[in-house]
Amino acid sequence: MEKVVTAIPRPKTAEPWKQISFVNLVLIVLASVVPLGVGLIAMLTGLQFELALLLVFLPVQVLVGALVGRRVSGKRGLSDAILQVLVIFFAASVLVLLISVVWSVIESGMKTLSWQFFTQNNVYISQTTSLEYGGVGHAIIGTLLLVSLSTIVTVPLGIATAVYLTETRGRTRTLVRTLIQALSGLPSVVAGLFIYAMFIATGITQYVGWAGSLALIPLMLPTVARVAEESLILVPQELRNGALALGAPAWRSFWLVTMPAAKSGLITAVLLGIARIIGETAPLVVTTFAANGTNLNPFNGAIATLPTYLYGYINSNFDTAVQRAWGAALVILIIVAILFIAARVMTRSNKAKKKAGK
Amino acid sequence: MSEAEVKPTAQRRSLRAKPFSRSDRIFYKTATAAANSSIVLVTLILVFLAWRSWPAFESQGIAYIFGSTWDNNPEKMVMQIGPMLWGSIQISLLGVILAVPMAISIAYFIVFMANKKFASGVTILVDLLAALPSVVLGLWGLLVFSPIAAGWAKLLHDTLGFLPFFANQDGNFLRSPFIAGWVVAVMIVPIIASVTREIFSQLDRELINASLALGAGRWSTFRRVILPTSSGGIVGGVLLGLGRALGETVAIFFVLNLVFEVNWWNVLEAKGGSVASMILAKFGEAGPAEVSGLMAAGVVLFVVTLLVNSLASYIVAKAQPWRK
Repeated sequence: MEKVVTAIPRPKTAEPWKQISFVNLVLIVLASVVPLGVGLIAMLTGLQFELALLLVFLPVQVLVGALVGRRVSGKRGLSDAILQVLVIFFAASVLVLLISVVWSVIESGMKTLSWQFFTQNNVYISQTTSLEYGGVGHAIIGTLLLVSLSTIVTVPLGIATAVYLTETRGRTRTLVRTLIQALSGLPSVVAGLFIYAMFIATGITQYVGWAGSLALIPLMLPTVARVAEESLILVPQELRNGALALGAPAWRSFWLVTMPAAKSGLITAVLLGIARIIGETAPLVVTTFAANGTNLNPFNGAIATLPTYLYGYINSNFDTAVQRAWGAALVILIIVAILFIAARVMTRSNKAKKKAGK
Repeated sequence: MSEAEVKPTAQRRSLRAKPFSRSDRIFYKTATAAANSSIVLVTLILVFLAWRSWPAFESQGIAYIFGSTWDNNPEKMVMQIGPMLWGSIQISLLGVILAVPMAISIAYFIVFMANKKFASGVTILVDLLAALPSVVLGLWGLLVFSPIAAGWAKLLHDTLGFLPFFANQDGNFLRSPFIAGWVVAVMIVPIIASVTREIFSQLDRELINASLALGAGRWSTFRRVILPTSSGGIVGGVLLGLGRALGETVAIFFVLNLVFEVNWWNVLEAKGGSVASMILAKFGEAGPAEVSGLMAAGVVLFVVTLLVNSLASYIVAKAQPWRK
């Protein structure tokens, strides 16, 4: 008996060489225009926007898309059309939400920003004081002081941890990696409580700037260590071996070969770590408290930071106070965006160099 | 041919592997010490919080976790965080349920659908929002989003109010777990999306091309090829977002009404709870005994997030065997 092989008809999606016929093209255009029109009509007849979107536009779009997909490329076209409609719908709603956050901060914050908002402090400023007086100068200084204090401690610690994870064969590597991962989910208020329990509840100190810096360390460490580890892994093993074969001791090979090769990645690690902690509020509320005056010494007395300033003004009934909160939010957003762009420029220049090398 | 001709072999010698110089030893010791300091750090956090919170656990017993009263009368303190713990879980679950479809969609959109320029712009936006401080989201949630979401809640109540979990008795739709869940969702969408995007973009393109060449459409490629290969990583990202949501403090603090009464499923009522926000809310005017109770809440929260995160890192590690 001979085996008879029957050919399975080729699915229509597997014929990309076939041109889309004119009728189908019209149908595709219709599929994207009709639901929009139906939704608009529904809205004009008095339906609320959300209802029109969810109950009229989306079902009609799914239905029309599915029908046209079925007509153009068969059964598979149907499920593909539904998938695409849903993905685009959800992605668009994410974009609307995220852009709404950024836009409302920029729009409301711009009304507050002025030169003296950056330079003056909060002494003699009440909830109703006009926006011409007072500002976040003291809070910017406080944030910079606390964050740089944390950075000075955390960066060497984090990079040394990354060195341990990549350059050695230590026995506790898996444990350390797991704990670093676990620390990255540490609730920020718990980090603050830890420092409070250690230094303030035991009576070692009052509310003070350096306690806030300490509370930020466990939050910053995982980011720095993880990103640094990833950039050190990317350095080819041949470079290290070359240096070692030339007789360099391990620390010199790291210092003169591995670290320069991973430089941009390490800088990114630091910048992302700073971006992680610059807006932390809860740990600072329980360790440094707020202050109205400018305090240049994080080792003595309460100190104000941008997040605690924002926290203090957020829940007010007075328009001027809320305006100050928006202004502080915009200042934080600007700082985060600057750090972010810096990090991206660093990684991009690294990639460009690699391309040039090839 | 005889034993006499056996050549003398070189003496066995030990291979002197690096590190052998003193400076190298210092280098490796420093790295080891720094790495092990993270072990010390986690232990210290647990030990100090446990030590400080022990009085609360001791005086309240097991009811600390399951009971639902908080009375800071100094004669007989009653501290029980049941509603707060349930509220944290409820809001996080709500946030994750809302966030997951949106996050996966935007990741799929960036990697497989959008053109390159648009995709890189969206990626920057998503990554920037993953780094946005939660206090800014709290401000947005309180002043911009709450009124809109209250409108949605009213709509849900008017149309589907006969369902038990959309009931609302007093007609106040602000400061409900529903709104807090949305704010948390906006916070964790960028986190889940950036993990998922990373995993999607590292998928083997050959697999996807092979599936398309066999005649599969987008949907069957997504369902049969992309999801099975990346599901572990996505689950890890979701659990990471869940950990963030459980520990979220400031954003929830502004958009939620904290009430010490368990609100099982009426998410539209202005009654909710969150352990982290409660710590922040009560910390200001707490006496020493009450602070001990708040620390106990911190311990419970830390243990829960620790569990969620260990699970996340385990799953992500299993899902990405190439990242050894």
